[in-house]
Amino acid sequence: MIAAVREFANRFLGRGDATITVPSFDGALKPNQKLESAETLLTCEAPEDLATDGSNLYIADGQRLMSLTGGQASEVRSFEQPISALCALPGGGLAVALGGREVHLYANASAEQPGVTFADTAFNAINALALAGDNTLIATDGSATCGVDDWARDLMELNRSGRVFRLDPGSKVVTPLAQGLGHAFGACAHGNGALVSESWRHRLVLVTPGASPKVVLAHLPVYPSRLTKAAGGGYWLTAFTARTQLIEFVLREPGYRRRMMAEIDPAYWVAPRLRSGLSFKEPMQGAHIKTMGVIKPWAPPRSYGLVIRLNADGQPLYSLHSRVDGVNHGIVAAVELGGDLVLIAKGPGRVLRLSLSGLAEEFCS
Amino acid sequence: MRDTLTSLRYRYWPDHLLGEILSKRWTETAIPVILLLIVGLALSRSIDNFLSPASLADTARQAGEIGFIALGLALVVIVGGIDLSVGSIFALTDFCALYLLDVLDWPVPAVVAATLLCGALLGAVNGVLIGYLRLRAFITTLITLIIYRSAYDLLIQRYSNAIASAFPDIPSWDFIGGGSVFGIPTVALVYIVVAIVGHIFMTRLRPGWHITAIGGSRRSAYNSGIPVRRTIALCYVASGVLTSIGALFFASRLGTVGGDIGVGLEVIVLTATVLGGITLGGGKGSVAKSAVGVLIVLLITNGLTTMNARGGVNRMALAGILLVAAMVDIRWQKNRTRIISKVYVAPTYHALPPPPPTEIGQGGPFEQNDKLRNVESIGLGRIEAPEDVILDRHDNLYAGSRHGDIMRFLAPDYQKMEVFAHIGGQPLGMAFDREDNLYVCIGGMGLYRITPDGTVEKATDETNRSMRSVNDDSRLRLADDLDITDDGLIFFSEATVRYEMDEWPIDGLEARGNGRIISYDTKTGVTRTELRGLKFPNGICVASDGQSILFAETFGCSIKRYWFAGPKKGKVEVVMDNLPGYPDNINLASDGNYWLALVGMRSPSLDLAWKMPGFRRRMGKRVPVDEWLFPNINTGCVVKFNEQGKIVESFWDLRGENHPMITSMREHRGYLYLGGILNNRIGRYKLDNADPNFVQYDKRWGKQS
Repeated sequence: MIAAVREFANRFLGRGDATITVPSFDGALKPNQKLESAETLLTCEAPEDLATDGSNLYIADGQRLMSLTGGQASEVRSFEQPISALCALPGGGLAVALGGREVHLYANASAEQPGVTFADTAFNAINALALAGDNTLIATDGSATCGVDDWARDLMELNRSGRVFRLDPGSKVVTPLAQGLGHAFGACAHGNGALVSESWRHRLVLVTPGASPKVVLAHLPVYPSRLTKAAGGGYWLTAFTARTQLIEFVLREPGYRRRMMAEIDPAYWVAPRLRSGLSFKEPMQGAHIKTMGVIKPWAPPRSYGLVIRLNADGQPLYSLHSRVDGVNHGIVAAVELGGDLVLIAKGPGRVLRLSLSGLAEEFCS
Repeated sequence: MRDTLTSLRYRYWPDHLLGEILSKRWTETAIPVILLLIVGLALSRSIDNFLSPASLADTARQAGEIGFIALGLALVVIVGGIDLSVGSIFALTDFCALYLLDVLDWPVPAVVAATLLCGALLGAVNGVLIGYLRLRAFITTLITLIIYRSAYDLLIQRYSNAIASAFPDIPSWDFIGGGSVFGIPTVALVYIVVAIVGHIFMTRLRPGWHITAIGGSRRSAYNSGIPVRRTIALCYVASGVLTSIGALFFASRLGTVGGDIGVGLEVIVLTATVLGGITLGGGKGSVAKSAVGVLIVLLITNGLTTMNARGGVNRMALAGILLVAAMVDIRWQKNRTRIISKVYVAPTYHALPPPPPTEIGQGGPFEQNDKLRNVESIGLGRIEAPEDVILDRHDNLYAGSRHGDIMRFLAPDYQKMEVFAHIGGQPLGMAFDREDNLYVCIGGMGLYRITPDGTVEKATDETNRSMRSVNDDSRLRLADDLDITDDGLIFFSEATVRYEMDEWPIDGLEARGNGRIISYDTKTGVTRTELRGLKFPNGICVASDGQSILFAETFGCSIKRYWFAGPKKGKVEVVMDNLPGYPDNINLASDGNYWLALVGMRSPSLDLAWKMPGFRRRMGKRVPVDEWLFPNINTGCVVKFNEQGKIVESFWDLRGENHPMITSMREHRGYLYLGGILNNRIGRYKLDNADPNFVQYDKRWGKQS
């Protein structure tokens, strides 16, 4: 009763859960334009995920699996369904999630038939695969009801149905590790568990078997996505899009959200996007007005490019940005290869390369 | 169904009035008046004969006496002080009057004069101490309260018997205390006269304004050259005089000098003052508030007495009321502007049908193209915010800038830029008259005229106040665009009467018909409001028939025609509605059609929000303006439409890089010149198949020799 009264009062006064504040990009997240200066390795239609075995770079581009060596891109093979996640296995193998519903394990990238296939009925939106220490795979599933590409609807419906699975190639058993997450998107082994991005709760949680998820990094101003290990210890955490006060407000407006989802083309929803500025039908916010021919980089981002370097404890060290006036938005994957960071900017459909030399010194001195 | 209910709710329930009423200064008087009515009603129901003439006359006599004291205290409180000694001054002047009359047998006029003088002197002590010696008002008057009271006690010990034993029978003296004119007690009549004079003094005369100014901010008043010390001192003198007037009437009514006269009077008067809404902090208050406060307090105390409440209860009730009133007053003063700003913005229901298609491949008159890709820029980076552009007969180009200047680019290459005239406000729409005077709408200022030699003159900045508007809408807030008829009648639009120019997004959030169209006669100088209730009226163009104007409603997404002459005079007709964007300026094209700038394009998310006023109201409160859902004014286009409202052609810049925003366009000698209110350039576009000799005003009024 008291809780109900308090919630009503909060909604009426805009306090508590009804507040729409978004943390600012500050400290380790202080904005820069590093991603705008990244070199474009490849432009493709629908880049989704990256994987590397240390020498080869595999790129999931829609239904095609591409390989990039020495600046030359070549198609390795193609599948019936779009690839939704990619993971390199020890010994040259490759794990591929297809359409979010199946995970195929291949002995090598061009093997005809998958060695193992997981097609659990619980799978709906497998969006990331990661290798755990004991040769098992960790898979994150964003939503039990919305498909891999329908994540904006998942956000707008306030779904909390993300799950984490452990896939054991030896026994072919699928074990659920966690459920009820706000869009699990991206995982990386950490100790005996896994760090998992919980996008809709803007945080990174540590999922361990038999325990409830523990918050590692919370109150992000962005929606975190896939993460990979960094060479010098720690992680690269990507953020596929950023939060704005308007979206936070719309998330608290059930009437508007319902009608928006029913009446408006999803491309023009008031929802985060991977790219923006393509049509005047997109929602425009006050600070987006071009003044004297300039769009302000500090305007509320409808799409944003960000990758955060975390230390071994999951705390941010520094970050690389592409701000509102940039184009390299929608960073969904980042892997370290040699001395470079290779990234996917899904917004413009680019595979980017950024040299890491000097970055740590520049930001952490 | 739900939409219908919402639309009816917002059409017939005037949400916007609440904020407008609250922002009026008289609401602070209205609340005590309502309280007075409630108290009066409650007492008249519970007590018999409460509203009988005898009872009312009795109340009026007491009200008059206390009213004078309350007026004095109000003056002191407004100037920023407080006077606790009024009760003692009351007692001393009461004694003074009766002593002079009964013991010294002075004539009545002399008694009156001497009593007033006595009050003035007692008040002057406070005045000198507080005004000139700058002692704290509270402590000073507390001390004089004690001193005066002690003096009174000493005096009545000696003279009370002499006064009590005298029974003067002087008709004029009795008339003061018990007389009445047409049934109204003398004291009430005198009070009404003093109150009216006091009201005029406080609201219309310089010293009254000085008093309010000092109460509002003593330092600022001093810096403005107001004699602060003298004014404050005189306020205390006035308080003493007004108290002595009350005492005179009291003396003639009762003729006693009992020990408890005036005891606790300061609490009654203070309660009345605060309850009436006179802020203890100073700077705010009025005679009416004081009178209302006195009436409330008297009704309550008399009501309680009639109901046989004991004296203690009576005083406790008063003290309780004083506490509550002071609390409400402080909270209200602190939060008033916040509350008003929260309730002032009142979004309403605004439904538009789905817009016509604009995508390439969908066909239709608005299909996007890339015709404007090759627009050249004039004054790139040198001019800022040219909302409108215009060319004179000698091909020179004029445009406004956000620095408050009219800039002139000289023909033929438009490289040389000079300040043609400095105005100070942001120039918006422009038009030349037959004598080559440039008329300009200035945001926040009104309609201005610039003669060919660059002299700036005000044409008009106010129109007739509408009777049904709560806000005073006579001043022009956002004159926007204009055109001149052949007879020298100027029609100009005012986008909104509720907001200032920089607040246009709030008007978009409201989406109410807040705008109007106004005419100004250049021959007679008369300004008149022609149309009201328009949704951000913007562009105006005199139609080719010379009897009507075409005007654009930006947030209404429509073009309408208004006949100012001819058989259809006074009528309004829709020319085009449900445009895919927000129409801005309209101008004549060389082929007899009209150019229209769409300053921005509609987006489905805002169209939906316009149907959900509650959503927008909450957005306005919770989300900062920079994050509001805005009308998209980053992309626009130019279209050409004919007399029947059919789109003939559209011109787009797909990338929007050359010329991001288009608020106006002007055809001149085969070129189209483009303005944009947030641009740093003027666009110039070569038209195919256009009359290379077309000059707008030559065509309308013939070539000038």
